Amino acid sequence: MYYKFSGITQKLTGSAPTVAYNPQGLKPAIPAESPTMIFATPTKVVSEAGAAAEYMGTNKVPDLQRLFQTSDGVPVHLKRGYPDRLLYRTTMALTVGGVVYCLVALYIAAQPKKG
Amino acid sequence: MAHQAHAYHMVDPSPWPLTGAVAALLLTSGTAIWMHFNSMSLMSLGMILLLLTIYQWWRDIIREGTFQGHHTPPVQKGLRYGMILFITSEVFFFLGFFWAFYHSSLAPTPELGGCWPPTGITTLDPFEVPLLNTAVLLASGVTVTWAHHSIMEGQRKQAIQSLTLTILLGFYFTFLQGMEYYEAPFTIADGVYGSTFFVATGFHGLHVIIGSSFLAVCLLRQVQFHFTSKHHFGFEAAAWYWHFVDVVWLFLYISIYWWGS
Repeated sequence: MYYKFSGITQKLTGSAPTVAYNPQGLKPAIPAESPTMIFATPTKVVSEAGAAAEYMGTNKVPDLQRLFQTSDGVPVHLKRGYPDRLLYRTTMALTVGGVVYCLVALYIAAQPKKG
Repeated sequence: MAHQAHAYHMVDPSPWPLTGAVAALLLTSGTAIWMHFNSMSLMSLGMILLLLTIYQWWRDIIREGTFQGHHTPPVQKGLRYGMILFITSEVFFFLGFFWAFYHSSLAPTPELGGCWPPTGITTLDPFEVPLLNTAVLLASGVTVTWAHHSIMEGQRKQAIQSLTLTILLGFYFTFLQGMEYYEAPFTIADGVYGSTFFVATGFHGLHVIIGSSFLAVCLLRQVQFHFTSKHHFGFEAAAWYWHFVDVVWLFLYISIYWWGS
């Protein structure tokens, strides 16, 4: 008996040997590495001698990928450090303050006559 | 994420669902407070919180997909299903307003004069600005398809240009509709004609603005090299939404502007 991890039931289920030897997410004849990412094909300009295409800024994605993939246990919404923390704290303050303001406003609105 | 034995995405704990729910609370109760007590503070606070939630939640999704690589093929499939289901729900939303329009216009009551358009209503000429609007949206459907093919072929400059053109056409539509609203000889208060016209076209206009914003975010991401020729689902979702907006306009044009005039 061979087993595979069923994506539907999230449990091990019986399977054919071929599936068991090809774990979920990996298929034969498809390379495990993702295809080479093509961000932009270089424009054919004579003066540019084989340099990477540069139109409206340089590609910072590899640097950002390195930054966000550091294994420091920080959740994604705080991964950039100070600016993320500032925005998060502001949002949370407005959230808590807003709930209090809302409850007070609804309490006042619920008063009879001069509500 | 290098340590999981499956291709799915177990998200980090996130505060945005909570802040989004509170934003919904503040918006709804704020609207009630605005209507009864003439104060916009609560509603405005809700709006600000909503915008903050939207910005940070979707920023995090971009980080998780583009920078952390969590959007594997099975995950992307789920995102596709999600977008399709959302657009389907929007179709039903508009279906309701079309139902209302046909209910009132197929059997006009005696109060309206027993005819459609109702007595006293000067309708807009469907072959003037509304026809131009139709052409603008159809053209934007072409340019967004052009943008998609450019992205798939790795043509960075063309992708940026065609996407920019699509967004400009969207803005042009919004501008033209705004002018039409201003110049219209009838208002939302003019009986059921006014109600059905402005609610249906108004919600459509809101969706044009939402769609244009979605495309603008995609433009920003395209400039920043987020999309690859094989993986650019954010753009595809925006393009699907834009086509949906275009189709809704075609139904609006045929039903309300043309048949209804």
